[in-house]
Amino acid sequence: MAALSNFLEIVIVPTAKDFIDIVLSKTQRKTPTVVHKQYKISRIRQFYMRKVKFSQQTFHDKLSTILTDFPKLDDIHPFYADLMNVLYDKDHYKLALGQINIALHLIDNVSKDYVRLLKYGDSLYRCKQLKKAALGRMATIMKRQAQSLQYLEQVRQHLSRLPSIDPNTRTLLICGFPNVGKSSFINKITRADVEVQPYAFTTKSLFVGHTDHRYLRWQVVDTPGILDHPLEDRNTIEMQAIAALAHLRAAILYVMDISEQCGHTIEQQVALFESIKPLFANKPLLVVLNKTDVIRLEELKPEQKSLIQGFINDDIPVMEMSTLSEEGVMNVKTEACERLLSHRIEVKIKSKKVEGILNRLHVALPKPRDGVTRPAFVPETVIKQRLVKEPKIKKKTERDLEVELEDDYSLDLKKNYDLPADFKYDVIPEFWEGKNIADYIDPDIMAKLEELEREEELRIESGVYEKEEEEMDDEEKEIHRLAGKIREKKAIIAIESRIGRSGGAPVMPRAGRKRERSVSRLRSEFEELGVDMSNKGGAHFSRTKSRSASRPPIKKARADSAGRVSSSSRVTPRDQSGIRDVELKAKAKKMGHKAQGKMNQFGKAGEADRHIAVKMPRHLYSGKRGIGKTDRR
Amino acid sequence: MPQNEHIELFQKRYGFRMDYQERQRKKKAREHKLQSKMAQKLIGIKGKIFAKKRYSEKVQLKRTIKAHEEKKTKKKEDGKVPEGAMPAYLLDRENTSQAKLLSSMVKQKRKEKAGKWDVPLPKVRAQSEAEVFRVLKTGKSRRKGWKRLVTKVCFVGEGFTRKPPKYERFVRPMALRFKKAHVTHPELKATFCLPIVGVKKNPSSPMYTSLGVITKGTIIEVNVSELGLVTQGGKVVWGKYAQVTNNPENDGCINAILLV
Repeated sequence: MAALSNFLEIVIVPTAKDFIDIVLSKTQRKTPTVVHKQYKISRIRQFYMRKVKFSQQTFHDKLSTILTDFPKLDDIHPFYADLMNVLYDKDHYKLALGQINIALHLIDNVSKDYVRLLKYGDSLYRCKQLKKAALGRMATIMKRQAQSLQYLEQVRQHLSRLPSIDPNTRTLLICGFPNVGKSSFINKITRADVEVQPYAFTTKSLFVGHTDHRYLRWQVVDTPGILDHPLEDRNTIEMQAIAALAHLRAAILYVMDISEQCGHTIEQQVALFESIKPLFANKPLLVVLNKTDVIRLEELKPEQKSLIQGFINDDIPVMEMSTLSEEGVMNVKTEACERLLSHRIEVKIKSKKVEGILNRLHVALPKPRDGVTRPAFVPETVIKQRLVKEPKIKKKTERDLEVELEDDYSLDLKKNYDLPADFKYDVIPEFWEGKNIADYIDPDIMAKLEELEREEELRIESGVYEKEEEEMDDEEKEIHRLAGKIREKKAIIAIESRIGRSGGAPVMPRAGRKRERSVSRLRSEFEELGVDMSNKGGAHFSRTKSRSASRPPIKKARADSAGRVSSSSRVTPRDQSGIRDVELKAKAKKMGHKAQGKMNQFGKAGEADRHIAVKMPRHLYSGKRGIGKTDRR
Repeated sequence: MPQNEHIELFQKRYGFRMDYQERQRKKKAREHKLQSKMAQKLIGIKGKIFAKKRYSEKVQLKRTIKAHEEKKTKKKEDGKVPEGAMPAYLLDRENTSQAKLLSSMVKQKRKEKAGKWDVPLPKVRAQSEAEVFRVLKTGKSRRKGWKRLVTKVCFVGEGFTRKPPKYERFVRPMALRFKKAHVTHPELKATFCLPIVGVKKNPSSPMYTSLGVITKGTIIEVNVSELGLVTQGGKVVWGKYAQVTNNPENDGCINAILLV
């Protein structure tokens, strides 16, 4: 199956003209475009060499992806190799790919030559002309490959539409003369929708469908009809069937038309069977007689019967079926599947791999409880019915009716109503005599309504619908109260902040603002909430020691309208914040001055100024090496 | 899984959409709008390519229209006189007069003096030394400038070995050495890739001839044994002269016309 997915992933092969356009426009977009004649000659040369090399690389990449994506006929399964040979002609295919390969090498050579020449280009004009010649040469090489590219594109499109046939899985292969009913058979057992028409060679290529049997997936391959002439005279269509017969290890269903409606007699069909018999070696074979609705095996002439008898004598099972009336189709499928399965198991047993599997298999059967057999029970009447074997009357479906009447058909849902004929198609009104008809649909509807109402009353009385009032204890009540308070406070804060955000006024930086979190504020807020703040002298939040010793004492505690002390309105200056005592402060000041000194001496604007006025002062970089002047560089 | 000709099968079974034909017709009718939009909007290299393509399409259109119109109108056939035909009353005259003979003699003498030969490119631009050679500075301090690098394409024969590099005055780089030329036969109008045998004459200077420098107008000798020409006497012709018609250093190849 991996091979098939590869067929779908082949890169699109553009036409020669498009190929050239793609590569040249890519070169134009991905390489620098501006060059002037006053640039250094090496720069001009590099510019043009880059363009030539880039074009060569792009051509090379695209052509080599084409070469690697297309399947090599030697690397894929021989069934596909043979099929591709039949469809596309192996020689032509290989030649086309060979031409592409040659073009690849030619383009590489052109690029090499012109890059070599470009090294000696001494003016912009000359380099430009050489680049133009190189690109033109590559384009000409591609133009000559137009035919190969076109052929490969067609091959790719056809390959992507091939049916995905797995050569290794269980397969049923259907073959026979044209028009015997192979495609009808596959349409019946699988979901493949193969075209069925009265003319010969309706099926022009292989079709695959899938069916189930014994919980396994089975592939069914439908082939185009084969005529009885020697191998050399066969055309492409028949050769596909032959390729499938030759390479797929499948169960063969040789379909014959005993009514001779296909245009060939039974003798001819048997002759064809004999001529392609070598292809059936080592494969389970089944001869299927189709179109038995027209004529049955018993009704055949004795000569024809003897031919068919010949098959039975050769140990080839013969089965009858009719794809039109669908009798025997399932039996054929079951029989073919069983034969193939047993054949495959036999082959597997003969191979060495079996022991590994057999060692691991163990079928466990339940131990019988007693000696009583308990077979399946089928009632007497059913057995009698089965023996009668009445033909199943196919019920006429709406679809059949539609097909029959074509344009005159209309969907009539009322025809199956269980009413007398004159009432069936009557239109039911919605209201009558001022009353709703829907209310009177049921004759007992009033009684039912009364009963319902009574029940409802009972329920209400018993209190099913009353909601239990939860009894809260004190704790819960307290929690509820507090929660309410919190909610209220939150809302107030939100509103206040919204008001506080007055539009446009300049805002003081955070450090410059009044100290919001102060002890007095803490006290007032907690008292609002009901906490006793009277004897919190030794608490951590109260200021026990003054923070800065050098602050002058406050003359009077300035209180605002709310009664809060504003001793915290001044911010600590930056040279005092973080310093614990006077000595440290002096040291910090000294360090600061020292660091600044060097900067000031060199006239630097700040710490980050690293400008060097004179990079190589002459007194340091010239002169003889003296005692020590030069080692201070 | 869609198999083989599933698209055609579907079209056969279910046909097309009800408005399929109408949509196709309308799409086709709108195409001229797309064309004009592209013609107006495309700029740069894409615009040039589009314009070129469109021009050739228009030329074809105009030709077909003209051909149709010719069918409609009836034109008088102006009698085409074949070349070289003379009216009946002049048939028995000797055409070249005395004066003509003299003047043709003088012209030939002048030609021989001027050195113009009967070649496809009679006059070529002379290449100066500054064009053909480039000074190559050598020496430890790169001051000596007696070496010259040939900047044009040249031909060195088989078995050519350089002079010892120290004494080599004219450096002919390997990249610029060519062995083959694309030679066109003027009558057959076919081009062959023939090996060069030697440089016969470079019109700019005999020094270039001795060095083997090939520029436009140079006469080279090519090996024509590939063509299979035979002389009157039955001998096989294997060398012929050809004149270079392009600037090989700009194109990377030597194109020449065979002198028959």
